[in-house]
Amino acid sequence: MSDPVNIRQIAPGTKIALVDGAVAEIVSNPADGVWVFARYLSSPGDPARVGSEDMIFAQDIVEIRDDGE
Amino acid sequence: MTIAREQGYRPGLVDMAAGQISREIFVNEGIYQQELERLFARVWLFVGHESQIPNPGDYFVSGMGEESVILCRDRAGKVHVFLNSCRHRGMKVCRYDEGNTPVFTCPYHGWSYGTDGKLVGVPYFREAYHEKLDKSQWGLIEVPQLCCYKGTVWASWDPSAPSFFEYLGDFIRYLDLTLDGWDGSDGGTEILGGIQKWRIPCNWKFPAENFCGDSYHNISHRSVDLVGIGPSGSGRRDMQERVMARRLQVSFYERGHQTGVYLFPKDRPTPPSYQHSPVVSEYFAYCEEERRRNRGEWARLIGSPGEIFPNTALHPRQPRTIAVWHPRGTHQTEVWRWYLVDKAAPWEVKDFLRDYYIRYSGPGGMTEQDDMENWNYAHAASRGTIARRYPYSYEQGLGYEVENYQSEGLRIPGTVMDITEAKSSEHNLRNLYRRWAEFMEAESWDELVSWRRNSQSRAAAE
Amino acid sequence: MATARISGYYPGLVDLAAGQISREIFVNDEIYHQELERVFARAWLFVGHESQIPNPGDFFVSSMGEESVILCRDRAGKVHVFLNSCRHRGMKVCRYDEGNAAVLTCPYHGWSYSTDGKLVGVPYFREAYHNTLDRSAWSLVEVAQSCLYKGTVWATWDAEAPPFLEYLGDFLPYIDLTLDSWDGSDGGTEILCGIQKWRVPCNWKFPAENFSGDSYHNISHRSVDLVGIGPSGSGRRDMPELNMARKLHIAFPEHGHQTTSYLLPKEAAPLPAYQQSSVVADYFRECEEARRRKRGDWGRMIALVGETFPNSAFLARQPRTLAAWHPRGAHETEVWRWFLVDKSAPAEVKDFLRDYYIRYSGPGGMTEQDDMENWNYAHAASRGTIARRYPYSYEQGPGAEVENYEWEGFRVPGAVCDLTDAKSSEHNLRNFYRRWAEFMQAGSWDELTSWRRPARAEAAE
Repeated sequence: MSDPVNIRQIAPGTKIALVDGAVAEIVSNPADGVWVFARYLSSPGDPARVGSEDMIFAQDIVEIRDDGE
Repeated sequence: MTIAREQGYRPGLVDMAAGQISREIFVNEGIYQQELERLFARVWLFVGHESQIPNPGDYFVSGMGEESVILCRDRAGKVHVFLNSCRHRGMKVCRYDEGNTPVFTCPYHGWSYGTDGKLVGVPYFREAYHEKLDKSQWGLIEVPQLCCYKGTVWASWDPSAPSFFEYLGDFIRYLDLTLDGWDGSDGGTEILGGIQKWRIPCNWKFPAENFCGDSYHNISHRSVDLVGIGPSGSGRRDMQERVMARRLQVSFYERGHQTGVYLFPKDRPTPPSYQHSPVVSEYFAYCEEERRRNRGEWARLIGSPGEIFPNTALHPRQPRTIAVWHPRGTHQTEVWRWYLVDKAAPWEVKDFLRDYYIRYSGPGGMTEQDDMENWNYAHAASRGTIARRYPYSYEQGLGYEVENYQSEGLRIPGTVMDITEAKSSEHNLRNLYRRWAEFMEAESWDELVSWRRNSQSRAAAE
Repeated sequence: MATARISGYYPGLVDLAAGQISREIFVNDEIYHQELERVFARAWLFVGHESQIPNPGDFFVSSMGEESVILCRDRAGKVHVFLNSCRHRGMKVCRYDEGNAAVLTCPYHGWSYSTDGKLVGVPYFREAYHNTLDRSAWSLVEVAQSCLYKGTVWATWDAEAPPFLEYLGDFLPYIDLTLDSWDGSDGGTEILCGIQKWRVPCNWKFPAENFSGDSYHNISHRSVDLVGIGPSGSGRRDMPELNMARKLHIAFPEHGHQTTSYLLPKEAAPLPAYQQSSVVADYFRECEEARRRKRGDWGRMIALVGETFPNSAFLARQPRTLAAWHPRGAHETEVWRWFLVDKSAPAEVKDFLRDYYIRYSGPGGMTEQDDMENWNYAHAASRGTIARRYPYSYEQGPGAEVENYEWEGFRVPGAVCDLTDAKSSEHNLRNFYRRWAEFMQAGSWDELTSWRRPARAEAAE
């Protein structure tokens, strides 16, 4: 299990890497430290998800990606 | 029995088929009073640890259900558990937390008892009682069954209860994960420091279900994970080795005990742990190597929180602690928490662990505080006139449990839910309430020992 | 029905014929628990004000009976009132007083609800629930009915309760006197500053009866009258025009609401008020003149204090405030007090009023403190083993009420007692307890809506 990521204040537009290998972009952040709303940019395990938006659970986020990654 | 289990007990209160439980069971006074008789007066309860009473005359005042009891060692070295109430007019015969004494003297009228419970001192026995009082009939009330196991002391008020080992069944292997030395040798643990005792405004079943394997509430502890209160400074405990393990929830349906465990593949390497201190880190690395040599295949199991029915919670590893959720009325729980270390560990290790333990657990512990916040408001909400009309959801993972779970040749006793991919399940919580409902409905222990009938029928079938 | 009403309910507990009420009803835990089911789970309760939640996502955590509720506005702008308890394991989904949120997330296991109450976030829904949890069945529990009226938000858990306006009946104009602008135009009020919340060690019915129209306890507030905390520095409120009015107790027996209000003579000109500030005095004089022009005869009615059954009190004028007496066990009340001003009033006026309001009301308010002192010891005495054997006296002024009160051409609906010469009456208090006893005994709302029954309509003809 990776180190926990503090998601409370990640800004919309930030990219996040998920535990299943997907990468998503923050659309909005309710700032509760538990959920973010994000849009899938890539999803090797389930390509049909790309472009769709979903609620992402904090424990499924492994990393905040810098711009350009 | 199986059919009844599938259909659930107490229709309307505990519905195992749908995976729903009424909020009433947490807040109803009638149900609570019934628990005192049907549950706490019949089960095996954790009382204390022998290391608290090493010498003759030593005593430690504990609790069983709501009642005060004295755990002591008599002059001959035998361990006893007595009701802490004078036979004459009820006053506590011991008003202290712990100590050493030749006799327990009641402050009210002066009756005095030996550490073996016998009534030895009766003021004016000759003048006022005319020597007629039969002292042998008025000794302290003693538990009919008591068991000392690897230092821990357990007791039951019910003479018809199965023996402690039968009560545990195959769960004993999981209790061993808390009580054995870190190097895998049998027993060898002692209590570290004092016993923490504090009250929380919730029904005892909220902490009980949390510790029996609520794998879902990890998010509640995110803040302590983020600040890294763990012994390596990352997260709240060392997690690296768990990344490679199968995560299991193990329930014993017929007994009502349950636990989480991590199951490693054969021959995996040991990642470093306790990295905040090289001395401690080395010590544990050494212990882990020894444990594998001593335990063989069973060394692949690492313990995770679990519960011995009904209210003894085990935390076998980080931290290593036993808690009892004493009922103090429907709306309050008194928690007693013991911390364990290997007797033979170096003082540096014990000292390091003491800091970690109290940072993590107890009324000042950062992780425990998250839990108490939740239980506090969950209980308050359960009392609400409107809220109590709505059941709680316990359906997570319903139907995905398996018997005869095996991994690379190691068979895991109990009914297992592998949550490595599922992440979580309420399997263990359902097990707790299923057994709770059985106890609440059973007239006697005969109805609570289904394994005796099943083993007879298995034997007959063979 | 009429006969039963006169002879009283709960023989031994509430005896309206003799005008005596047992102290038990204030201290008995069983009665209290029955109130939670029979009164608070069925009545309309005051929850908050729309001005507290102006934007989508805004929320204010309030209370209904003992329970925490969330007043919020969803993304589409609709107002909701939800039980503040996660459906999974009960933890509060909102632990804050107020704010704005996109979702309400429970900290225990992470279940998350949108502001329309739907369960939208379930951690590991796929992995742990195998996609089988029916999320639509696990939304936040929502009130059965809610009503927005001139900014105020009311709600009830009971689907069978009459709609709010029917629940109020002819009491509505007195609520209007609190909620309409000072110049008589409809609505236009907003909440001023924060909500005061504090606990008093007494049963909720002590404050409820006090604010129903206890005109007798004025002597308790003599010290604040003497020091002159009022807006003109004399007494605790402006009284000159009230001294020329008829002082009335107005009760609505079938609905359980009541008020103490003053009826001015025809053509009475406004007298000076708010004299400690000429700006404020001028403002109110203009408002008052406008109000009388707009409202005609109703412009002659000045509401003072009143209670919407069971536990929502208003002071309509000086000060202007709504209070809810939340039950917190038989022996404690948690008071929540909202203060009101006209949205469009100048800053100077609002500021002046803020000082006056908090000087008068709230836990630091000088007048409110007199009341709390009384309730505190009255309650404590009611608990006493000996004391509770002796009933309280509610017999002041029986039989003086009339159904068709009229003065100088204005007919006042309701059962009215003219107290101008009598000075005081316990008419309104009896009305409150009559209704309380009805609720406690009624098996359903069918028994609580006597105004709907054909027999009454026939009798009226």
